[in-house]
Amino acid sequence: MIELKDVTKIYEVNKNESVRALSEINLKIKEGELVILKGSSGSGKSTILSLIAALSKPTSGEVLVDTKKISKLPDNFSSEYRRDNIGFVFQKYNLIPNLSVKENILLPLVPLNLDAQSMHQMSESVMQRFHIEHKQDVLVRNLSGGEQQRAAIARANINNPKIILADEPTANLDEKLSLHFIEMLRELKASNKTIVIATHDPLFFGLDFVDREIQVHNGSLVL
Amino acid sequence: MILTPEVLTLFILNILFAFFAIIAFVLSVKIFLQWDLNATTQRQYILEKQSFLAATIIKYIFAIKVPLFLFFIFTLDKISHVLTGAMCAAGVVDATQYGTYLLILKVINLYIFAYWLMLHRADMKDENQPYTKRKFGLFIAAFFLFMAEVIIEGIMFGAIDVDKMVSCCGSLYSSSATSYVSNIFRIDTEVLLVLFYGNFLLMGLFYLLKNRYLFALSNLSFIVSGVITLIAFFGMYIYQLPTHHCPFCFLQNDYYYVGYLIYFLLFIGTFSGIGAGLLPGSNTSRNKSYKISLLFNGLYVLLLSLYPLLFYVKNGVWL
Repeated sequence: MIELKDVTKIYEVNKNESVRALSEINLKIKEGELVILKGSSGSGKSTILSLIAALSKPTSGEVLVDTKKISKLPDNFSSEYRRDNIGFVFQKYNLIPNLSVKENILLPLVPLNLDAQSMHQMSESVMQRFHIEHKQDVLVRNLSGGEQQRAAIARANINNPKIILADEPTANLDEKLSLHFIEMLRELKASNKTIVIATHDPLFFGLDFVDREIQVHNGSLVL
Repeated sequence: MILTPEVLTLFILNILFAFFAIIAFVLSVKIFLQWDLNATTQRQYILEKQSFLAATIIKYIFAIKVPLFLFFIFTLDKISHVLTGAMCAAGVVDATQYGTYLLILKVINLYIFAYWLMLHRADMKDENQPYTKRKFGLFIAAFFLFMAEVIIEGIMFGAIDVDKMVSCCGSLYSSSATSYVSNIFRIDTEVLLVLFYGNFLLMGLFYLLKNRYLFALSNLSFIVSGVITLIAFFGMYIYQLPTHHCPFCFLQNDYYYVGYLIYFLLFIGTFSGIGAGLLPGSNTSRNKSYKISLLFNGLYVLLLSLYPLLFYVKNGVWL
């Protein structure tokens, strides 16, 4: 389902300096698979996620999702691809603090021009699923870290994406809330989503429902 | 040399456009020579980024240049007030040896720039960007025409001598004039009208036959027959003067700026018609181009036809 072929990613810091984030990596992730990308900060985990989400393009090589060459998509088509296929949970959640939980969750649906009734039903369903419905009218800036994360996960799932990507999802959570997130992950896995998590949190290692753990080190995959 | 605020505006815009067009030209040559969408090399990814930058620059230059043509005509009309003898833009065009060539070049460029914009739009609608190479190839050719326009425009405004007397449109567009324009007054009115309405009917016929190439060709010929008939016949009724044929005077306030509407209708109509033949796209988009072309050309024919008809109803005679 997801395939990275000979992908290299170099970030140009300035004219004389560049950082090689990924070096000719090859990776295949099957549909419904849950993969943990583990490694220290700066190893290239987040870069892999941003390439799969078509948030950035490789310097060379290609990224395919369902045989579609997403690394070759023009920007306007990349946005469509993300809207239809990707749910992204960011490390800092990237919620809009001055909007309520429900408004944040509804945001991915805005470009779809759905009727109000459908949008309401979809948001209710996803808020119930991720246990945040009791906070739906509260402004995001007034939520705790765990609640913000649940809102972020609900938002990532509102358009029922095939692929869920999460970048250090428990970096700002205590152990109890992290374990709660892992339980939500188990539910998502059961619904046959393809999930890729970039993390260095040991709580994710050795979980029974995780299909693969891949070590990323200095821009290469350690197999 | 003449420097009015309008001329200065054109100068400044031309300098800005030329600067950015040179950047876009360099990028376009690279893209045209090296583009290979299937390649996954670093060079191709850089080209993809550069193509976005170059296309954006070109898009904005052309998107401004197309309506700027109207401003150019407005400027000519405005500076006619300071040239002795000039009554409208015609006098300014004739004030130097470059005016006529510049005007013809601008009209050709107008169609090329608009075609590029349509090609770019079609390219951006398809995720495989099938027309990238073609649109940058076209820009490479259009760049030289664009630069020629900028240079000739500068030379023309620079060559205008405000102390020199120029001809007025009455002498330039009359059957007694010695210029090549006067040849059109030697064509019989009946022949002109048959060509004009016949050309429009042919357009309708080619639309029914769905022959896009003939439809485009009939639109191309309609630019010529439409303008000649406007100057030689319909102009007299717009001015209500049997001796006045100027293609510029009706751009003035005295005629409620109707000339802008007339030329706008002709441009949109013929451009869409030519586009239906030349532009890539689905049958749906082509059908849309056919309809826009017929609508605008039809409005052009209707608007021009109303002038002699209303004149006849009012006065009971033809000019």
